[in-house]
Amino acid sequence: MSIWNYVVTAHKPTNVTHSCVGNFTAPQELNLIVAKCTRIEIHLLTPQGLQPMLDVPIYGRIATLELFRPHGEAQDFLFIATERYKFCVLQWDAETSELITRAMGDVSDRIGRPTDNGQIGIIDPDCRLIGLHLYDGLFKVIPFDNKGQLKEAFNIRLEELQVLDIKFLYGCSKPTIVVLYQDKDFVEGPWTQNNLDNGADLLIPVPPPLCGVLIIGEETIVYCSANAFKAIPIRPSITKAYGRVDADGSRYLLGDHAGLLHLLVITHEKEKVTGLKIELLGETSIASTISYLDNAVVYIGSSYGDSQLIKLNLQPDAKGSYVEVLERYVNLGPIVDFCVVDLERQGQGQVVTCSGAYKDGSLRIVRNGIGINEQASVELQGIKGMWSLRSSTDDPFDTFLVVSFISETRILAMNLEDELEETEIEGFCSQAQTLFCHDAVYNQLVQVTSSSVRLVSSTTREMRYEWHAPQGYSLNVATANATQVLLATGGGHLVYLEIGDGTLTEVKHEQLEYEISCLDINPIGDNPISSQLAAVGMWTDISVRIFSLPDLNLITKENLGGEIIPRSVLLCAFEGISYLLCALGDGHLLNFLLNMSTGELTDRKKVSLGTQPITLRTFSSKNTTHVFAASDRPTVIYSSNKKLLYSNVNLKEVSHMCPFNSAAFPDSLAIAKEGELTIGTIDDIQKLHIRSIPLGEHARRICHQEQSRTFAICSLKNQSNAEESEMHFIRLLDDQTFDFISTYPLDTFEYGCSILSCSFSDDTNVYYCVGTAYVLPEENEPTKGRILVFIVEDGKLQLIVEKETKGAVYSLNAFNGKLLAAINQKIQLYKWMLRDDGTRELQSECGHHGHILALFVQTRGDFIVVGDLMKSFSLLIYKHEEGAIEERARDYNANWMSAVEILDDDIYLGAENNFNLFTVRKNSEGATDEERGRLEVVGEYHLGEFVNRFRHGSLVMRLPDSDVGQIPTVIFGTVNGVIGVIASLPHEQYVFLEKLQTNLRKVIKGVGGLNHEQWRSFNNEKKTVDAKNFLDGDLIESFLDLNRIRMDEISKAMSVSVEELCKRVEELTRLH
Amino acid sequence: MWKQIGGREAGQIRPNSFSNRVKSNRVSSLQLSNYKDIVSPHRGSINSLQVDLTEGRYLLSGASDASVAVYDVQRATDYEGDGLIAKHKSIVVVDKQHEQGHKYAVSSAIWYPIDTGLFITGSYDHYVKVWDTNSTQVVMNFKMPGKVYRTAMSSLATSHMLIAAGTEDVQVRLCDIASGAFAHTLSGHRDGIMTVEWSTSSEWVLVTGGCDGAIRFWDIRRAGCFRVLDQSQSQLGRRPPLLERSALNKVSTSKSSSGGQNLSAKSRPQQRKSTNGNGIKQSPIGRIPAKASVRQRLHPGMLSGQDRATAHYGAVTGLKVTDDGMYLLSAGSDSRIRLWDVQSGCNTLVNFETVRLQTSKAIQLATSQDPALVFVPCMTAVKAFDVWSGKTHMAFRGHYEYVNCCWFSSQDQELYTGGSDRKILVWSPSRLISDELVDHLVSVAFYFTFHFNFYLCALKL
Repeated sequence: MSIWNYVVTAHKPTNVTHSCVGNFTAPQELNLIVAKCTRIEIHLLTPQGLQPMLDVPIYGRIATLELFRPHGEAQDFLFIATERYKFCVLQWDAETSELITRAMGDVSDRIGRPTDNGQIGIIDPDCRLIGLHLYDGLFKVIPFDNKGQLKEAFNIRLEELQVLDIKFLYGCSKPTIVVLYQDKDFVEGPWTQNNLDNGADLLIPVPPPLCGVLIIGEETIVYCSANAFKAIPIRPSITKAYGRVDADGSRYLLGDHAGLLHLLVITHEKEKVTGLKIELLGETSIASTISYLDNAVVYIGSSYGDSQLIKLNLQPDAKGSYVEVLERYVNLGPIVDFCVVDLERQGQGQVVTCSGAYKDGSLRIVRNGIGINEQASVELQGIKGMWSLRSSTDDPFDTFLVVSFISETRILAMNLEDELEETEIEGFCSQAQTLFCHDAVYNQLVQVTSSSVRLVSSTTREMRYEWHAPQGYSLNVATANATQVLLATGGGHLVYLEIGDGTLTEVKHEQLEYEISCLDINPIGDNPISSQLAAVGMWTDISVRIFSLPDLNLITKENLGGEIIPRSVLLCAFEGISYLLCALGDGHLLNFLLNMSTGELTDRKKVSLGTQPITLRTFSSKNTTHVFAASDRPTVIYSSNKKLLYSNVNLKEVSHMCPFNSAAFPDSLAIAKEGELTIGTIDDIQKLHIRSIPLGEHARRICHQEQSRTFAICSLKNQSNAEESEMHFIRLLDDQTFDFISTYPLDTFEYGCSILSCSFSDDTNVYYCVGTAYVLPEENEPTKGRILVFIVEDGKLQLIVEKETKGAVYSLNAFNGKLLAAINQKIQLYKWMLRDDGTRELQSECGHHGHILALFVQTRGDFIVVGDLMKSFSLLIYKHEEGAIEERARDYNANWMSAVEILDDDIYLGAENNFNLFTVRKNSEGATDEERGRLEVVGEYHLGEFVNRFRHGSLVMRLPDSDVGQIPTVIFGTVNGVIGVIASLPHEQYVFLEKLQTNLRKVIKGVGGLNHEQWRSFNNEKKTVDAKNFLDGDLIESFLDLNRIRMDEISKAMSVSVEELCKRVEELTRLH
Repeated sequence: MWKQIGGREAGQIRPNSFSNRVKSNRVSSLQLSNYKDIVSPHRGSINSLQVDLTEGRYLLSGASDASVAVYDVQRATDYEGDGLIAKHKSIVVVDKQHEQGHKYAVSSAIWYPIDTGLFITGSYDHYVKVWDTNSTQVVMNFKMPGKVYRTAMSSLATSHMLIAAGTEDVQVRLCDIASGAFAHTLSGHRDGIMTVEWSTSSEWVLVTGGCDGAIRFWDIRRAGCFRVLDQSQSQLGRRPPLLERSALNKVSTSKSSSGGQNLSAKSRPQQRKSTNGNGIKQSPIGRIPAKASVRQRLHPGMLSGQDRATAHYGAVTGLKVTDDGMYLLSAGSDSRIRLWDVQSGCNTLVNFETVRLQTSKAIQLATSQDPALVFVPCMTAVKAFDVWSGKTHMAFRGHYEYVNCCWFSSQDQELYTGGSDRKILVWSPSRLISDELVDHLVSVAFYFTFHFNFYLCALKL
């Protein structure tokens, strides 16, 4: 790998940190706005559910998300503040469906210490000012003027240092805050409330007419206002989120740490509060936000599990729960650990993550591309084409599968036993290759062979009409839909037929100057059974032409350029937008926007899908139309957010595909590949496919063992009834079914800290090694732990060796046939010894001191890279002769590490506490000891995500012949559920992309006017420096979303053609 | 620890609060280091200690024998006790033998804040010298009118390179490295200036403490000082007692709960705001909490009533601005430590449990942010006080004579102390030697014998 790295997100953050509800996009529209750390999503509430409107990245980690409505406005504005002290006010532009920045600014201060408990941002209910608590002891105020514009900010001193929560109170003539804080008993304002519950950490201001505030503690809930004080005890719980139900503030939803949802009611007589009531509604994911939408529908945003859309029923269900989950939104966060495996042994990596926490813990299998689940297959060689046909026009299912060979056509059908069986349609010509087949109106079927077009009754299966090709010409290419047939013969003749009841009428005949290579008349207009346009691909001049039907007038001609002829054209529509897709013989695909009324082709884009000719076919899955591109690299083309996306299918090579929706195999595809015909169903169409394995407990570490085909995880389970009683386990899972097949419980207070599958020298067995720590409540630092070595026998974990250590085993690595453990501040190497009695033991060989805590260790050859708790990297070397470990070099920066990985012999990648990535380089050629002893920082970048783990590997199939296949990659997983890829680029490519990134920064403006360069600058308590030797792949790949004008702008600035830019960027998207 | 790491992994603990907690735990376990030892080459009392601000790697010490030394605190020069005790010998020493060296005691030795290529020393021989670290040559000399007590450079400064020097003389001198000349003299103190300290929130603000008991704030862009701290001015912007106010509200306003004001009473307009947190920049002159003398604002430094104010009875011997720039700590020969609110200039009246402080010499204080502690040399010990309560949090006893200076490295959570016993001691978070117990015992025993021997040697000298 190299020092030039490209960082890109393969799976966006899914951890919901904030959410709010209001009329943002229009005065009458109710919107849910969700913040997922570095992204915001705007949804529209419709009777059908939530409809996504916008999903945009924010150049910052969102600290505050609030809707507010300045005086005189009909709809809400959105206030966002980021953790790096930037804020902006956004407004919706209904015309362009974009966000407009109303105001923005910086609220950082030279003085003050950043708050420990997180930043607080609040807006006065009467919209007089915005309050921010960013630094201990300071409360920043941004006032609004009369016109709703923001004025200059100023600070107010807060004497309370340990602030837990601040809220504005309703119904005060002057903006009034209520402060909840630790230590001193003092709440400023019109009244005070002393001696609150110890665990109180949430305030809820109550709107008029009641006013006042609710203080949510761990054991009590208190309502207080100037003239009332009510308290009720609750079952001990930590309330994580609240949502107000009624505008008058008499009912609230409270979500606690165990995922229980309660309803809190303030009972009142007119404006006098008489008491509080609380009722358990049911269980949800552990909520981080609760937004009450409408009609008892509530959005539960979660950081530890899937976010949910729930409905609160009036009557409890059988289990006594009022909660009904309407929809779940996948959340991978927090990804605590993951491993990259190739379970299907296809050469494509899958990521198995330890996701979620507490009861919402789960394993997630994340795979790129779309899987085909094989249902049936037959061996069939030399398939030249396939079509499915129905037995009558209104039959919802396909009955026949027409398979065409070089000199014959065979017909398969489902028999009564639901088996695929060869059958016959008498009217079909079976002694010739079929060029095309289709269902037609009036219960007819169309078959095109090189000599004729036959119309066959689908009920009697007899031929009703035959149209013969003109004498001396044979039909080369054909296409048809329910009412139309378009044929091309040698010599460039284009013939258009219309299908009648038992008749075919030649409507038009046109001679073109060159031979025709492909045709399509897929109906995408208003009429579902006939098309007004025909797409034609040509030999010789390499063009696609659009003809009008039925008169076959040439409307548009688009020269494709190059020397590769189009092999397949397809008219299709996604999300209401019409496209013309044109596949070339070399595996490239061109797509154009097609204007249905004028036939005009615009926005040409070219992507490379494979290296062999592509055949395009539409199919539908879940009522949406997609396109299947069959080639050596089969791909599904679909559209999301009005953008075409390409997702590879997990099959090696597909020559033909046709949808085959039979009663026995609903929603299936028939796929011809490598001498085989397969019927299979297709996964949900999305780029990353995620499968969830709920565990009901929190998995902390995972590793895979190829030999035993198992996963082992370290997990912990919270006992629901007793407090502080956690049980820790080592669990063995089957790698196909993900069932627990064996469990090894750890001792009381013993935590599993690390896990490894490895083998030792002089021993052929493969073992699982587990490092543990005894975490005793009275100890600050574990002083005892164990290394356990297991072997998998008959699907059981058998403990072979147990070795006690003097501290927590934070990391385990296989190292030269030995075991390298990081135990508190020490690196310790263990030999695998055979005792006289034949048993094994771990014998300590040597060690190395001098770390604060050696949390993360990676090895390569004899080198050991240690990521310390707070002292960045150090590089150690194991000396065989002396049997000793020595320090070679160190990075003297004070980085608090969160993950490390070795990129190559000299370059090491680290992630640190302030959401940065950096690389260091070993300097073996240094002139002095000092130089050699220093790891030089070569790359720095602000990722904005807390990385928990790096692993070498790739999410995509590596094709040896593509450029991208040679680029080494590292995958990372973060707290927010991001799966990202870091790719090491060759220098030439890096320089090119860096230039592109610089140009993109000028053209793509960040939401809220936030600056990309500042966002990506490396930032910690000590310094802020520009990113170097890292590129933001998300920004670069957004080039493909730009409209043509902006692309041209960039192309001009770069002096590179748009097509070339698109191609190079498309190539990069193949990395993930 | 493992639990906290787990919490951070799962996103339950914010990364910054994780690191603050760890730091705080480590600071609470500071003790005489059992694995790190600085070998002092000095033959006189250590007067000044500083770790460089860029890398946190090089410790600079200045001593009464006119010597200055630099140690690498990250990388040991050699190891003892089976590799368990790291010895840090000086990597640079300048002493009397050096042709350009100081003649008398070095009272202050500080790093150039931008890099470790330069350091600055101030001495009783009336000179402030700027040294090139690599060549150990003097690159600049400033002749002072008297003994130099303390020098300081602003760690924030981007637009100036000024050394503030406090000397026997009543004027503070600002030596400009860029030009090699005195840029300013600041007049106001009535006696020698024991201690100087730059603000941590504005590069233009300097704080000085004199033998006259005064602490003065200067905006170096303007003439005169803009604030003199007064130990008797102690309201600290305390909000008026709540009960009274709410009672008052009930009387004066209607029953509606709207009478409260969270902001402040009218009597302290000066505390209400500071635009963008940098109010001092705006017009520091307007910020003097003077009740009466609004009329004669012309030369605030010269205001008679204000000007006589004292911060301590006796000399101000040490100053330290907290890292967040909001508070100032001062030590005086009256054996008091005071905590001042920088914005208002009020004495917070926190009672620090000092018993006695050195009176004859400037002392160097240190602070840590997590937990908020101030490290104060108290005769032969160093005490750590909680900044907010003044209670003794820890006491570090290891020096055999008076301690003069201390430096807290927040990067490593280590405390370095230097005393008249010529030793530099390292106080570090306790480290469990996770090895076999025997090793542990041996190493500890070894360390103590070594330490003892060293002391005997020192006595013989």
